[in-house]
Amino acid sequence: MIRFEHVSKRYSAGHEALAELSFELGAGEMAFVTGHSGAGKSTLLKLVALVERPTRGQVLVNGQNLGQVRRRRIPQLRRGIGMVFQDHRLLMDRSVFDNVALPLVIAGARREETAKRVRAALDKVGLLRREHEAPVTLSTGEQQRVGIARAIVVKPPVLIADEPTGNLDPQLSAEIMALFGEFQQVGTTVLIASHDLPLIKRLGKRVLVLDHGRLIDDYRPQR
Amino acid sequence: MNRRQASRLKPAAPGPRAAAPPRTPLHASLRARREQHLYSLFSSLGRLAARPWATALTLAVLSLALAFPLLFWLLLDNARTLGGSVEDARAVSVFLKPNLGADAANALAARLRGRDDVAGVELKSPEQGMEEFRMQSGFAEALKVLHYNPLPAVLIVSPRVASGTDPAPALVAELGRDANVDLVQYDAQWRQRLGAILAVTQRGCALLAVLLGLAALLVVGNTVRLDIQGRGEEIAVMQLLGADNGFVRRPFLYSGFWYGAFSGVLSIVLIGIVEWALAAPVAQLVASYDRRFSVHGASAAVMLAVVAVSAALGWLGAWITASRHIALGQPR
Repeated sequence: MIRFEHVSKRYSAGHEALAELSFELGAGEMAFVTGHSGAGKSTLLKLVALVERPTRGQVLVNGQNLGQVRRRRIPQLRRGIGMVFQDHRLLMDRSVFDNVALPLVIAGARREETAKRVRAALDKVGLLRREHEAPVTLSTGEQQRVGIARAIVVKPPVLIADEPTGNLDPQLSAEIMALFGEFQQVGTTVLIASHDLPLIKRLGKRVLVLDHGRLIDDYRPQR
Repeated sequence: MNRRQASRLKPAAPGPRAAAPPRTPLHASLRARREQHLYSLFSSLGRLAARPWATALTLAVLSLALAFPLLFWLLLDNARTLGGSVEDARAVSVFLKPNLGADAANALAARLRGRDDVAGVELKSPEQGMEEFRMQSGFAEALKVLHYNPLPAVLIVSPRVASGTDPAPALVAELGRDANVDLVQYDAQWRQRLGAILAVTQRGCALLAVLLGLAALLVVGNTVRLDIQGRGEEIAVMQLLGADNGFVRRPFLYSGFWYGAFSGVLSIVLIGIVEWALAAPVAQLVASYDRRFSVHGASAAVMLAVVAVSAALGWLGAWITASRHIALGQPR
């Protein structure tokens, strides 16, 4: 589902964020990317969402070679990728419902369809009764759950998350990670950047370890 | 710009991408477009309403910029109809010597009718002239005091106008030399001067309208630019969620449209206020001239055109700015 082939990314300042990175993530697989800060975790996710393009190498997502995606096709590509951010990036001047509905509005979904799917997504993250509230009235953990609902409302085949538990206490972090596990179980490919090693270890999923932009370990749990 | 527009018109999701949903039927694609437009329409209105003071200020500036050219145009249009009410502009009025008899006047008229450069001659006897004077000037009472008719007979000579040439000056000169003629008055001269003055003013008015239209464009553009800068985070999030430039730009275009349309309506209200304030003194003026002319305000068609043009200006201003400022946050 996600394949990196000898991918390097050098920013214009000369800093090499990723070097010769190759790995493959199958459909419905869940993996963590970890490493010290600046190891290239965020860059890796940005390449998947075409926020950045690699300097060398190829990135394939869902069979599509991203190097061949023309600039004006990028929006369409992103609609197939659910994205969760560390700081959730909700639109604070809109209700929870409107935030979650945004990807559907962008895709031009029918209104009844939108309402149905937004409620389903909010139900999934346990916030169905808060749909009319403003995001500021929610706790940090709840805001992140709204961010997740927004990412999965279009049922994307790929879900990526950049430090989704970075601002949460261990209890909430575990809940959020369990939520991601549920999406994997329904067939979504999930890739999460996180430096919360103890939590990652407990979950027993595949872990890609980056160090200075190089893949130094690809740990696969024994089944 | 054409390429971008073309890409927006295409139905969604062509291409050999594995992730792509099956090709969307046209009606579904149109429906999606309608949903998106409705969304943009209302969200843009909401944005304007969310900042009532800023919006009101922008609208005030815009409506003034629109009202000024409209006012000048109205003044000009009225001046033009005033000028136009002087009919027979090319007619030459020939005042005959007062002591000339009716027969001699008729003979002169007949002689002039025979000329090649004369299209027609109308003879007004002193009695007819007196009657007209009485009707028009409001001096009916005063004229009763007169024991005799001081008015001469008048010939209204219409020159035959060949295309491109004006034979009147030669005719006028010749008539002036006639022993029976007291005075020749050629209306076209002052009419031409009035026409020239009006043309200059009209051009000035058009220039002013263009300049103020540009100002309106800049005001909308700047307002939209500030709005886009204030919504940088929102735009970035939308782009990450898969919004294309058209989707991000659309609410701003609608904002521009609303700015234009509302300020167009407001400028008409302004014009209405001006007309109302001037109504009483103008009515007095018209009455003092025995209602020989009338003054008109802006017609419904003009009002409609003003709103349409200003809405189009607003849209254009927003489009120019939005196209320049959105598109960040995308890799090349």
